[in-house]
Amino acid sequence: MSASTAPLLETHDLNFGFGKRPILHTLNLRVEPGSIYGFLGPNGAGKSTTMRLLLGLLRPASGTVQLFGHDLARHRVALLGRVGALIESPSLYDHLTGRENVEAIRRLRGVPAHRTAEVLALVGLTADAHRPAREYSLGMRQRLGLALALLPDPDLLLLDEPTNGLDPTGIIEMRALLRRLGHEHGKTIVVSSHLISEIEKTVTHVGVLQAGRLVFQGSLPDLQRLQTGRAQLVLETENAAACRLLLPELLAGATVATPGTLRLPWLSRAHAAELAAGLVAAGQPLYELRQEQPNLEDTFLHLTEAVV
Amino acid sequence: MEYALPVAPGPLTQFGRALAADTLKLRRTAALWLALGGGALPVLLNLLIFYFKGQFIVKAGDNPWPQYIGMSWQTASVLLLPMFLVLLSGLVVNLENRGGWRQLLAQPLSRGSVFSSKLLLLLGLNAVAQVMYVGLLLAAGVLLGWLKPDLGFQSHSISLPPVLRLLGHTYVATLGVLGIQYALALAFRGFVGPLAVGIAGIVSALTLLRWEHIDLVPYAAPTRVLGLLKGDAQLHVAAALSPAEWYSLGWFALAVLVGYALLLRRPVTD
Repeated sequence: MSASTAPLLETHDLNFGFGKRPILHTLNLRVEPGSIYGFLGPNGAGKSTTMRLLLGLLRPASGTVQLFGHDLARHRVALLGRVGALIESPSLYDHLTGRENVEAIRRLRGVPAHRTAEVLALVGLTADAHRPAREYSLGMRQRLGLALALLPDPDLLLLDEPTNGLDPTGIIEMRALLRRLGHEHGKTIVVSSHLISEIEKTVTHVGVLQAGRLVFQGSLPDLQRLQTGRAQLVLETENAAACRLLLPELLAGATVATPGTLRLPWLSRAHAAELAAGLVAAGQPLYELRQEQPNLEDTFLHLTEAVV
Repeated sequence: MEYALPVAPGPLTQFGRALAADTLKLRRTAALWLALGGGALPVLLNLLIFYFKGQFIVKAGDNPWPQYIGMSWQTASVLLLPMFLVLLSGLVVNLENRGGWRQLLAQPLSRGSVFSSKLLLLLGLNAVAQVMYVGLLLAAGVLLGWLKPDLGFQSHSISLPPVLRLLGHTYVATLGVLGIQYALALAFRGFVGPLAVGIAGIVSALTLLRWEHIDLVPYAAPTRVLGLLKGDAQLHVAAALSPAEWYSLGWFALAVLVGYALLLRRPVTD
């Protein structure tokens, strides 16, 4: 199976709308086995709707969802047996204790009884398992929700905004847990977020959703390569405006950032050298010439703003 | 195919799992307390009536049991029992209304097993409540025999078969309301909607009791089966189902089909 390249999760031209309002447009997700797939997009882009489609909670208007190479619509019960999910804020039964909440889902799934204590320990809730869920903090609820998702020891984990409402320590713990599940236990994880900074250290692959359309999908290195395409050349001189007048062709795409700073798209090393020589020949001082890489957050923002 | 298709649990296994989980979820809920204790209210009311005013109700020397059972059953069936069904179905379904549906329906279970498990739970709780009621009613009668020997509860006996037959009739008569309220609770996805329709149904039934087609109104069925209760010296209850019960069964069947279709087609957005 390790040599297999068949995706664990795949959607084909998935379309969905609420009534006449379209939400998702020809979505083609592809999640490789063993990957941690960061599903990114601003709030309202359709991430939760996609998650619900992946679990059969909503029916697509057209297109298909395939889990483990099989059609979800035809084999929902069989396929969901290998999927654990946390959708938005975890839905807990407030009148039950933490342990009883896990126990209810354990009975639903027919999972062996010893798993209840195991998953409670895994998310660090053993000591609070006897307390009613209504007394839980947001972070504890989120962890209990994760425990429910982990209960069947699933091959595929679908986690919708699992860091929502967590404090910084909680976010770091959640990241570490996801990495451990992915790297040590070989789980395939799809984790959605509206903040790339929250998951960029965890994920191996990224899909970016913007207004219901997938505007990027690929590995993290792919995304980084996309950034180099958007690198900038920053030039520090005395009078930026004057330089632009003197070298109109070389500085065609340049903008004056400050009176002494010019910014232009990075084209090539040769172009940078030519520009340096040109400026010196024109008698302008060149204090600094550097290449600036956008960080992932800029790239993400760029991707999610660019679509009309 | 690169991945083998996992084996799905059989329909009965799914149903059993759903029921095991639903039973656990009842812990510490109002629904459970309502089912266990709801029957106590009419019994307590009649206990007080017979304790304080029994001498005006029971003719000296007569068997007080038939009258006691009849009065109590009337108190219970006309208003309290339909109200109980409305509350019970609303409370049981409402357990899932704070996000439970998306959790429940994302599990490897068919929606049919989710639907039928809750239906069976409701039928069971309804049965428990009515059996508890009869048990409490008979126990309160014995208690009256000790507390008020003049009324004659201890010196007369009550024959059980007619009481159990009446219980059976009443149970069948409640199925229509139970089914309708269950389907309504699934449709409304909240507690208030089905409660409002249920109260409207009960009030309509009470208003229309003299209508020649009242047997068609499911909320009136528990009241209609009171007509089967005959006899002063000893209780008599016919075994054959009354028209109201047949209609109740019809409503139940229809409501189950509609409720199932609702849950099956429901997009889970909450």
